[in-house]
Amino acid sequence: MSEITDTLETTLENPVSGIDQSSGNFKYDMTYDFDAGTGLNERTVDYISSVKKEAPWIHDFRQSALKTFFAKPLPTHWATRDLENINFDKIRYYLSQGQKPKRTWAEVPEDIKRTFERLGIPEQERKFLAGVEAQFDSEAAYSNIKEAVSKQGVIFMNSTEALREHPEIFRKYFGKVIPTGDNKFSALNSAVFSGGSFIYVPPGVKVSHPLQAYFRINAENFGQFERTLIICDEGSELTYMEGCTAPKFSTATLHSAVVELVALKGAKIQYITVQNWSSNVFNLVTKRGLAHEEAEIKWIDCNIGSRLTMKYPGVVLKGRKSRGEVISIALANDGQHQDTGAKMVHAADETTSTVVSKSISVGQGRATYRGVVHIPKNLKGCKNNTECDALLINTNSRTDTYPAITVRGDRHAVQHEASVSKVSAEQIFYMQQRGLTEGQAMSLSVNGFINDLARQFPMEYSVELKRLIDLEMEGSVG
Amino acid sequence: MAETASDRPVVAAALGGFTPDVFARHLESAPSWWHERKRAAYSRFEALPMPGRTDESWRFSNLSGIRIDGFTPDAAPPAGTAAASAAFSLAAPPMLTFVNGRLASRGELPAHLAAKGVVVSTLSEAAARSPELLREHFMAQPQKLGSAKFAALHEAFIADGAFVHVPRGVEVDMPIVLIHSASGAGTAVFPHTLIIAEDNSKVTVVDHFHSNDTLGQFACGANDLYAGHGARITYAAAQCWSLETLSFQFNSTVVRRDARVQSLNLHLGARQARHESLSQLQAPGGFSEMLALTVASGAREFDQRTLQIHQAPNTKSDLLYKNVLLDRSRTIFSGLIIVDPDAQKTDAYQSNRNLMLSEDAESNSLPGLEIQANDVRCTHGATSSPIDADQAFYLKSRGIPEKAANELLIFGFFEEVLCRLENEELHAALRDLVRTRLGR
Amino acid sequence: MSSLEIKNLHVSTGDKEIVKGVTLTINSGEIHAVMGPNGTGKSTMAKAIAGHPDYVITQGDVLIDGKSILEKESDERAREGIFLAFQYPSEIPGVSIANFMRAALQARMAEGEEIDASAYYKRLYQKMDLLKIDRKFTSRSVNEGFSGGEKKRSEILQMALLEPKFALMDETDSGLDIDALRIVSDGVNSLRGPNLGILLITHYQRLLSYIVPDHVHVMIEGRIVKSGDKSLALELESRGYDWVKQELATA
Repeated sequence: MSEITDTLETTLENPVSGIDQSSGNFKYDMTYDFDAGTGLNERTVDYISSVKKEAPWIHDFRQSALKTFFAKPLPTHWATRDLENINFDKIRYYLSQGQKPKRTWAEVPEDIKRTFERLGIPEQERKFLAGVEAQFDSEAAYSNIKEAVSKQGVIFMNSTEALREHPEIFRKYFGKVIPTGDNKFSALNSAVFSGGSFIYVPPGVKVSHPLQAYFRINAENFGQFERTLIICDEGSELTYMEGCTAPKFSTATLHSAVVELVALKGAKIQYITVQNWSSNVFNLVTKRGLAHEEAEIKWIDCNIGSRLTMKYPGVVLKGRKSRGEVISIALANDGQHQDTGAKMVHAADETTSTVVSKSISVGQGRATYRGVVHIPKNLKGCKNNTECDALLINTNSRTDTYPAITVRGDRHAVQHEASVSKVSAEQIFYMQQRGLTEGQAMSLSVNGFINDLARQFPMEYSVELKRLIDLEMEGSVG
Repeated sequence: MAETASDRPVVAAALGGFTPDVFARHLESAPSWWHERKRAAYSRFEALPMPGRTDESWRFSNLSGIRIDGFTPDAAPPAGTAAASAAFSLAAPPMLTFVNGRLASRGELPAHLAAKGVVVSTLSEAAARSPELLREHFMAQPQKLGSAKFAALHEAFIADGAFVHVPRGVEVDMPIVLIHSASGAGTAVFPHTLIIAEDNSKVTVVDHFHSNDTLGQFACGANDLYAGHGARITYAAAQCWSLETLSFQFNSTVVRRDARVQSLNLHLGARQARHESLSQLQAPGGFSEMLALTVASGAREFDQRTLQIHQAPNTKSDLLYKNVLLDRSRTIFSGLIIVDPDAQKTDAYQSNRNLMLSEDAESNSLPGLEIQANDVRCTHGATSSPIDADQAFYLKSRGIPEKAANELLIFGFFEEVLCRLENEELHAALRDLVRTRLGR
Repeated sequence: MSSLEIKNLHVSTGDKEIVKGVTLTINSGEIHAVMGPNGTGKSTMAKAIAGHPDYVITQGDVLIDGKSILEKESDERAREGIFLAFQYPSEIPGVSIANFMRAALQARMAEGEEIDASAYYKRLYQKMDLLKIDRKFTSRSVNEGFSGGEKKRSEILQMALLEPKFALMDETDSGLDIDALRIVSDGVNSLRGPNLGILLITHYQRLLSYIVPDHVHVMIEGRIVKSGDKSLALELESRGYDWVKQELATA
């Protein structure tokens, strides 16, 4: 307690309000070699805002979000009660840059080390991913990318930098696609966010290579409360990738990101995520895109690991003829619950949305699909097609499907289909008869199940994904 | 009323017109064997809250339309009440006709069926003759779909109901027709049908819910279907309440080993109707086929909630719910298939099809699955779409005018459900009801 | 030169004994046809030899070159050289034939050894040409949406690639029209040679006019009741199985 009190006093002596922080150099007589402590109150938020030298409007935004967070109940009337096991008072909401993690390589569990090895993760990255080192020095690669795209006028920086240096671009959309009060966890993120990427692509610019958060791994970026905002101006195109297939070993139990995408007229955004959290993590993420006229937003989302993931990437189809798509792969192993899905809100004529979701439940794992398709009145020519397939590996693996589809009017076509299947004993025997081991046969079947979706990932991701599934399937049979 | 409200505002709102005074008067007219159960049910009704906004089992429902005040249970029917509609005709005469919950007339059961021990009687008669059957089957299954409160209300205020018992190995060769009629403004009725088909028996039962009025009424009905080992029940319900009625109907179906139950619910009446249907597949080889057809017009709301629970291996369920939406109507279909951990080799299907015929109509589909066994075949699907333009064009290209082509397609949409009925006469009778309702 | 010895084999499924003591030796280069009415245990025997988990061998032994294979898992048996051409091959969505066979060949290589991709494809295409299989076939999922004839050709293609010592061909002619039967038979005949022993299970003689066996055995009610050369097949075709049954009864 006393630690926090000290922090708070320091913060109060350095009020953020009244200082123009949008220009010039800032110098505070503050030491950052401590973090914000555990627990959450107004002063924690003051502290974060102060450390980041934020403009008053952001500070106000955070404080008001905090009120919303406290006011909102947990969504347990529809979501799992496991959420009640999150102890918000035990969580560290901000870790400053210089903070050294206390774990040593020797303390990293053997199975995690083995997985790194099997996946061929470079030595240095392993230490970062295991939380032994706070920084993975890929700044050089990142700078190159940043420089290359900045020639095209693309802005690619972290949230703190971007809000400070380009409020004229980012303020307009920040918190607009996903309002603070969208849900309890978006409110939490709005109060304590740090890290994440802010990107602006000017009109007509087509970014040829995917931009990757991977180039900028550091403690903040892989932090608990990332905030990402991508704006693609008229006619521009961008592919963004986040995460990697390596398991992220984390002592933090709550990760809650907010990702907002804005595709202006005719723009195309493809957002690819591969996440593999360690199985102590609550991963509660809000992702939504706003598609203007003839724009296209596509979420490709792969969730592996975590104790509980709740994530329903959405697209608000605001402009005529805009398109939204969610491609989702989830793998739930023992003790894991993947509660994922999609949200498609049609708000203009002739808008089209597609959802394809495939989940795999292994052992006692549980995969849940939850979807919303909403077509309100006075629209015409909207289409949605949703397909959910679940594969159950073991006798008591579990899958649930909970879609909610509202259609108003007689000029739309909406279709939802779901199926549940298993890897049949006959199939396994057939492959064993050709000389594959039971485990190999199982991996082949599971990879076959997601094959058509995995192909949509960039090559290196889909190769890693396949390897990862092989690993996850080991020991699942028998 | 205002005074009570200020004393116990929440409770009073939750009881509507069914206050303790009203209940006490109802008990005076109810047979004494029933009092204890009814008191317990009334306490449950009092204790349970009205459905709330965050209640998942009432998602999308128009809660403000559920006002249960101002209705009168046990109302005497006005003189000259006609008990049935001419639109619904089957050769078999109705076995039992209830008006405002009480037996008004009865048909004679053919001698050969009576001789085999088939019983078609009122619940009161059954209570005297076979109380053990009533204890075992009457409202004995859990209320899992959100209306525990209203099911308790049903049990508290039910005046009488139909009891159909088919002994082991007996096949009933004619449909047993039961009519439940409501008459008079503000009348509340609580119809009930209990069907027990013992092992290897076979029976077809038709419930016709009916009102000739255009008045606001309240119907809160329930039925219990029990199919013993190898038994076969075909159950059809034609809901033709007044177009101003608030209707609740709770169905429970229990399917034992190798038994098969087919149920078809036709929803044509009511201002706002909530229908809950629970099928429990309790033993291997059981099969439940759940069918429904709804014609939604005006500003009506049809809210259908279903649950298929597979509790044993090698069971099958097949659900097909179709809605035709006109005007500013709304439909809600919320279905769930649950496969218990050991119910391997389950074969479950669930399908909701909405035919959208108006710009202002709204369909809501919540087709759900909860699967805890891996060796299963489960699929579900939901669609909402207008008349298929290609199909309409194909018909028109053969010289059929647009209006006729559309009608053909609308009836084609219905036929897919109706043709599942094996009984041709019943099929035709239900089809006629739909045609009349659509005014075509 | 290898041998597959089946010694006094008894096989049960559930509580029911299906195969009741079959003894048979197949040497490399030989084709043995096992004929018999439906439900006499022919397919059961083949599946049991391949190690299908639904079938339990209650007595007897199966040996390759004198070594029992019964303690081995089905995939190990496959790598020892047993190939079962299924009567009803499984469909495996999303897994292409090319990837499937590559994985199967990889499983036969020593640890650390990698398959030579270009040589593999060359060989794959060569075998496909032989079986008159379209190149596009390789990218289709294993058996998914295949016609009866395509499924059987896919089985023979796999056999050609995996080069087993012994092939157990279970009702390979079922579901084939005359043209498909000819193509499949040509494929089998092309694989015939001194390094391959074949056990051909069939109900009808018609397959045997395309694939001519060295030995013919009649199986009835779980036992081999009569053996002979290819002329026995013709005799069965003209006189039916009742004749053998009657002979058994009088014996």
